[in-house]
Amino acid sequence: MSRNHQLVLIGINHTTAPIEIRERLAIPSTRLADATRTLVHQPGIREGLILSTCNRVELLTLQEDGSTPNASLLQFLHEYFAIAPSSIAPHLYEYREREAVRHLFRVAASLDSMVVGEPQILGQVKESYTVAREVGAVNGSLDSLIQRAFTVAKKVRSETQIGSSSVSIASVAVDLARKIFGTLQGKTVLLVGAGKMSELAARHLIQQGATKILVANRTLERAEKIAAQFNGRVVPFDELYDQAAQADIVITSTGAQQTIFGKSHGQQFLQRRRNKPMFFIDIAVPRDVDPKMNEVEGCFVYDIDDLQQVAAAHLADRSREAAAAESIVTVEVDKYQQRIQSLDVAPAIRSLQEHAESLRQAELRRSAARLSGLTADQMSAVEALTRALTNKFLHPPMTAFREAAREGDAQTLAALESLYTGNVRSRSDASGDE
Amino acid sequence: MSLLWLRVAVLLYGVAALAVLPAALYGRQWWNRIAVPAAVVGLLFHFVSLAEMLNTAHHRLPVDTHETQALLGLLLAAAFLIVFWRYRTVSLGVFVLPVSFLLGLVPAFHPGQEASPFPQFHAGWIFLHIILLLAAYAALLLSLLASVLYLVQERSLKSKHAASGASWLPPLETTDQIALRSLLFGLPCMTAGLLIGSLIAQQTYGASYFMDTKVLLSFAMWLAYIGMIYIRRHSGLRGRRAIYLSGFVFLVVLAVWSANQFSVVHRFTTP
Repeated sequence: MSRNHQLVLIGINHTTAPIEIRERLAIPSTRLADATRTLVHQPGIREGLILSTCNRVELLTLQEDGSTPNASLLQFLHEYFAIAPSSIAPHLYEYREREAVRHLFRVAASLDSMVVGEPQILGQVKESYTVAREVGAVNGSLDSLIQRAFTVAKKVRSETQIGSSSVSIASVAVDLARKIFGTLQGKTVLLVGAGKMSELAARHLIQQGATKILVANRTLERAEKIAAQFNGRVVPFDELYDQAAQADIVITSTGAQQTIFGKSHGQQFLQRRRNKPMFFIDIAVPRDVDPKMNEVEGCFVYDIDDLQQVAAAHLADRSREAAAAESIVTVEVDKYQQRIQSLDVAPAIRSLQEHAESLRQAELRRSAARLSGLTADQMSAVEALTRALTNKFLHPPMTAFREAAREGDAQTLAALESLYTGNVRSRSDASGDE
Repeated sequence: MSLLWLRVAVLLYGVAALAVLPAALYGRQWWNRIAVPAAVVGLLFHFVSLAEMLNTAHHRLPVDTHETQALLGLLLAAAFLIVFWRYRTVSLGVFVLPVSFLLGLVPAFHPGQEASPFPQFHAGWIFLHIILLLAAYAALLLSLLASVLYLVQERSLKSKHAASGASWLPPLETTDQIALRSLLFGLPCMTAGLLIGSLIAQQTYGASYFMDTKVLLSFAMWLAYIGMIYIRRHSGLRGRRAIYLSGFVFLVVLAVWSANQFSVVHRFTTP
């Protein structure tokens, strides 16, 4: 990160550790502040952040140079979770400096998630960051790095389609409903039959604004229970065909062996609705809705296979978009590293300038007696001349410093520092001795 | 000078028409920041150009086919912006903005020579007659376009496997609303436009004016327009059949427009 600190990230995620290990390391949000505080109290750790989700636990730290990075972090894991380092070591990954920056950007941009492009991870990183700031664990370089990670994540979301399509059955159903109706505000949903999947889909639709829920089930008690759950109304099963036309979205999941809704039902419903579209989500197997109903203009029928196919297609789309997102991350990592290095080189340049100025002043003082006969104009000309000479001499090394920093050329930077600031220091010391 | 403003406007419509492609087709929001402002500024320059052109010519109303075309292009660009403002969708811009661009292109680079004989009095009313009818045409064009997009989106949703193929299109209900509201907006414009035209013609030429083919076709167009709105509103007609209906009325409008070429009393002529 800088020449006095190093950035270290260790962690486990869904690809490196089974759930048995992940759940042992998981930190609930109520204990996150305490855990973060404990982390930054470990020797050698200046700043730190803990990201704990159901799929990953990661410790991002800024450590002092010379400290043994892994030792402090393993010590923390051992102390905090009472887990022997040897039992988690095989599952741990570790990234340093540039690779740690890259990993953080990928995590925030949801490129390292189990479902690539899922939006929750950015919120979880933000939550960890808020906690870390509150306990004072993030206050300097790490702060700007994390802020940058948020910017990169937003950039990935706005410049790629990585999170634009749904990949779960329930959210695909909601997306399709939106393509038909636009807003779901005020829409009526009819649940026919009971099932976990249909309830989940209904819950998603309600979250998106669907307000009126009708429930029809052969068992009245079950219908009443579901209706109560969604604050809806029960439709007696024998009135199903009379009342179904009220619904904009029909979710079916009965255990019936024959279809409940046929093509002719679709035609009747559409006639009663004056051709307003109707969306049938058929989650039942065997199917509750005759696929021929899809031929009726204004009726849209999706069965479980159709929904799964759409979800799979969206997943493939996301993978394609992930490649574009990876390129954005790579560019942003380069930019970030260049920025850090150019900031890092500023003290060296400043010290070089200060030293050159002190040499110039010293030489002027040494020649003061011989220059005493000069007029004020002549004296200011000498001043300008020496200053211009100093600046001209300084120009090549300063340019070299900046270029090496911009290109991230650590070797040249070290050589330049040793050549100019190191030599300068020793000569300065020598002139002091004189 | 007015030509310069028109050329700038056309250029901006071109920029907007290009920028709207990635914005609409690939959901690249960043391009919206180019497409929409370019269309707004283009509209502004177009308006300035038109006002200046008409003012310089001392007739203050579009009298040749090119000026009329340019005015229709302006109204279409305005319609695109209204739809964007109301429904937050730029999808229609994929079609509307190139039309605005093309309608402005000829007058901007090849100014017309034709002129419509018009009485020197009633200029204000004639201007109103023209702009109201052009607004009705623009509304019908928008409605037809929205109906086509409705059908494309409907087919895409029904085909299931290609569900993401038309993902750039607005939801069905939105396109349906755009189609219907455009028609509802166009009706009073067309009615008032025809009424004003009829009153002026009655005063200027007398009853013989109403026996002209162009004039008769105009009234047929109005009846077809009313019939279309009635059917759409009362049967909730959407999709394929709505397109057939809008397409039929649009053909009538084209016939009315073309009738300018052979009408005896209502035509553009070379001065």
